[in-house]
Amino acid sequence: MFSKNKKIDRLLTLYIPLGLMLSFTLFPIYWTINTALKPEGDILKRPLQYLPSNPTVENFVYAWSNIGFATFFKNSLIVGICTVIIVLICSTLSGYALSRYNFVGKKGFMLMLLCTQFIPRAMMIIPLFIIFKNLGLISHPLSLIITYTAVEIPFTTILMAGFISNVPKELEEAAMIDGCSKLQALRHVVFPLLMPGIVATGVFTFIYTWNEFLLALMLTNQQSRFTLPVGLSSMMGEFNVNYGALAAGSVIALIPAVILFAYAQKHLVNGIGGAVKG
Amino acid sequence: MFMKRGKYKSSILAFSIVSGLLLAGCNGDDEKPSASTDSNSNSDEPVTITFWDENASPERTPLWEEIIKQFEDANPNIDVEYVVIPNKSAKSKYDAAIAANDTPDVGSVQTTWLPEFSIREALMPLDEYFDGSELKDKINASAIEFNKKITQDGKLYGIPYAQNLDTIWIRTDWFEEAGVKEPETFDEFFTAIEKMTDKDNGRYGYTIRGGAGGSFQLQRLMFAYSGLDYFGEDGKVNINDPKHVEFVEKYLSYYEEFTPKSDITNGYKEMIAGFDTGVVAMVHHNVGSYGEHKKSLEEGTFKTIPLPKTEDGKYVAEGGNAVNIAVFNSTEHPDAAWKFAEFVNSAEAQSLWNESTGQIPTNTDVLDDEWVQNAQHIKVAFEVYENPETKLYEPPFYLPDYRSILDNLVDPGIQQVMSGQKSAKDFLDEWATAIEESKEKYDQTFNK
Amino acid sequence: MSYSQGFPETSVNNKDVVHKKKIKKEKLVPYLFILPSFLIILGFLFYPIGTVFYYSLQNYDVSAPYYNSFAGLDNFIKIFTADEMFIPSLINSLKWVVSEVGLQLVFGMILALLLNQTFKFRGLARAAAFIPWAISGVLASVMWSMMFNEHMGVINDMLMKLGIINEPMAFLASTSTAFGAVVIAELWRGIPFFAITLLASLQSIPNELYEAARVDGASRWKSFIYVTLPQLKNTIILTTLLRVVWEFNNVDLLFNLTGGGPAHSTTTLTMYIADLAVHGSNFGYGSALTVVSFGILLIFAILYLRLSRYEKE
Repeated sequence: MFSKNKKIDRLLTLYIPLGLMLSFTLFPIYWTINTALKPEGDILKRPLQYLPSNPTVENFVYAWSNIGFATFFKNSLIVGICTVIIVLICSTLSGYALSRYNFVGKKGFMLMLLCTQFIPRAMMIIPLFIIFKNLGLISHPLSLIITYTAVEIPFTTILMAGFISNVPKELEEAAMIDGCSKLQALRHVVFPLLMPGIVATGVFTFIYTWNEFLLALMLTNQQSRFTLPVGLSSMMGEFNVNYGALAAGSVIALIPAVILFAYAQKHLVNGIGGAVKG
Repeated sequence: MFMKRGKYKSSILAFSIVSGLLLAGCNGDDEKPSASTDSNSNSDEPVTITFWDENASPERTPLWEEIIKQFEDANPNIDVEYVVIPNKSAKSKYDAAIAANDTPDVGSVQTTWLPEFSIREALMPLDEYFDGSELKDKINASAIEFNKKITQDGKLYGIPYAQNLDTIWIRTDWFEEAGVKEPETFDEFFTAIEKMTDKDNGRYGYTIRGGAGGSFQLQRLMFAYSGLDYFGEDGKVNINDPKHVEFVEKYLSYYEEFTPKSDITNGYKEMIAGFDTGVVAMVHHNVGSYGEHKKSLEEGTFKTIPLPKTEDGKYVAEGGNAVNIAVFNSTEHPDAAWKFAEFVNSAEAQSLWNESTGQIPTNTDVLDDEWVQNAQHIKVAFEVYENPETKLYEPPFYLPDYRSILDNLVDPGIQQVMSGQKSAKDFLDEWATAIEESKEKYDQTFNK
Repeated sequence: MSYSQGFPETSVNNKDVVHKKKIKKEKLVPYLFILPSFLIILGFLFYPIGTVFYYSLQNYDVSAPYYNSFAGLDNFIKIFTADEMFIPSLINSLKWVVSEVGLQLVFGMILALLLNQTFKFRGLARAAAFIPWAISGVLASVMWSMMFNEHMGVINDMLMKLGIINEPMAFLASTSTAFGAVVIAELWRGIPFFAITLLASLQSIPNELYEAARVDGASRWKSFIYVTLPQLKNTIILTTLLRVVWEFNNVDLLFNLTGGGPAHSTTTLTMYIADLAVHGSNFGYGSALTVVSFGILLIFAILYLRLSRYEKE
């Protein structure tokens, strides 16, 4: 009797709502994969095929071999990883300052961070282009890494400040009383507790760089420097959209992100367990 | 402890991978055109020129790559670096590049951009090159004339390598089945829409482009209906001429009654999907969408027909429906850039390009090609363009806000008329006022 | 960075001196910490933002340089007196932001709480739940426009099979459904943001608090209200604030799915700016509108932080 109640309880508070949310989440993905597996003529055909009747991998082959997809992939990785590293360093430091210290100009700094987010990116393209042209960095991955870092720091700093303020200050102080130096306290006490936040911030940054289109298009004038979204968008012509290849290219583009989530989600839990016990 | 060591190791590993990637990313950046100052590319010194394709698509990219390959084989000392730009962002990409004076050497440029780009001094006049080239007698003269006419200084800034023409695509099998005549006049056009609509079977006679780009199509239909010039003799714009009001009232009243409900936000993709999935019997687009229909519909079940004739039996087409090769002022290798422009316009390259994209070649040598003779949609285009009676009207591309008036005022205006929020008359009056205000300001600036 | 390690803390005699020095150094620490971020922003964002303010006072059109001139406050006067689009687009922005942020927060919270429980394949479920976040605007728009399509869309197909509707609906085309349809598409993409941030924050709530609540006999709902929510308060305040700003400026789905139509019913203020400035190249007027929306967001942010009593208690 007791276990039956518990089962119903689990069903109502976990499995059913989770199932509903996941089907909402996953259906479009499934539909994209379904589209990617159809030969071109079948995509627009009615009645709709919920499973491809003539599954094919030709779209994947086409997307991968078409106009240097592998290069776009590599470019996106370089830009993404470099940006994540710089952003994490900067935003952990400034997030720590914001959440742990009271200093003159703190509010001003916060406000400055917020203000940078108030301007639609589209309005900043031409001035950014001019800056990087003067630096000789148009088409260079650094132009994107720097721009993405600058654009993401305000957001990630505020995010990190939130995460850091969730770590009880007392833990840190206790560690310092125990003879740890400040850095040691940070490394052994704060960092492990902060890991979920750092991972979340890193994931946000990476995903942003992975998907950013407008700046990447504008600041890159060399085909060999294009990132994935720019490469993908060239599959949507004015007069012809290759839905199959677009879907296949998108599925390929999704893979690193999915791996990243699979990896990241562990750290979204592990941090606390390790820290409290260790 | 053990776990921790593992973590450090992996983070060191990760770091070295990253630094490796960084180095890889930062190396070899200097493939940019070397800043050699000699503009004389006839010397054997290798030069690299950049070419921007303003309308990237999976079908076009391999064609450009093929043309570039042929060009490089013929000119071993010139390297062409190809850059694709998605159509939607092409104008803003050029805008930023011109603003920062960082333009490519050669670019594919729409005719409507020529006046603006030349006033911004971004483009190099090509008259001398063109007059000295064997292309001079081969490229369609009226298209060249048109390009000169629309710029402020009357110079030639782009060589048209492909033309397009608005037409109507129809499902011939449905027309036969229903025994309806293919429309040649506007009366027949409207009748066909009514007759071909069979809502019970999920069929509509026609689909209206109510979303992005709808303004261009509406404008072309309006003038095809009236046969008027863009501006009247008194200099007044003819947009809100009673004939246009009459047409727009009737045309947009067919929305929902004989066309799908989703038409009001239809962009190109949605509109074509309606035709290609077998929902609508007719769609107004241009000859360039042939390849798209071919993918989904069987050969022989569809074809293209010209836009209906005016009351007095004339075809009307909008001038400047072409794409051009332009050379940018910033180029350090004008000769090499021109060579490429010349090559793209050779019979060989134009034939390859236009056959595959379903567009209309401008090089007269191509007209005898077998594919031109066999392509129904190209023949229709010639029928219209070659007909001496055909009227070409000239929209004021030179007005700096011509495009934004269409995008930001006319597109939403069409939707307001379709949804009954505005009358056709008010809508056309607003459109006319905007064009007139813009023209007045322009005239004041340049006719001092 | 060995500023604190250099001081032996064992010596009793000079403890006071060390303490004073330490305080001085401590004062510098936060500035050192924010320096890298500050420099990057100063170097690369100040100029672009500055140009927006500068151009707001100019007639500036990249495609018509011959018209460029000083405009004074003309652009602003036009916004508030002659622009018929300004108020309706601002109202659409409000609707957009409130529905997006509100729904994303609620569903993101539910998802975070679900994924915080232990069950089989939790890792898999988490990774799956976060995927929409990884989808680019380009792709998300294509996916949803295909699914919403009147003729070939799977949503119509399913609703008809289920007998909910009798004939295909043009979701993105009717003034009554277009807004909701885009909201759903953006919601789909935005839920993971809150789910991830909230899940990460849930981890830092000490278990002892829940145990204490359980000992006190609190129900699940009560421990959510009295333990979880207060602990998450700062995260929620900041993430909603960031999200409001972000959604306010986010146009890619609106742009690609409805283009602001039908008849402007989905044109938000930012969408209007993007249309004017980027696609019409009228940067002067676009900049002026941006400055106005900047002011609106600034006032909102300050009020929001005040009223929500961020970091209080």
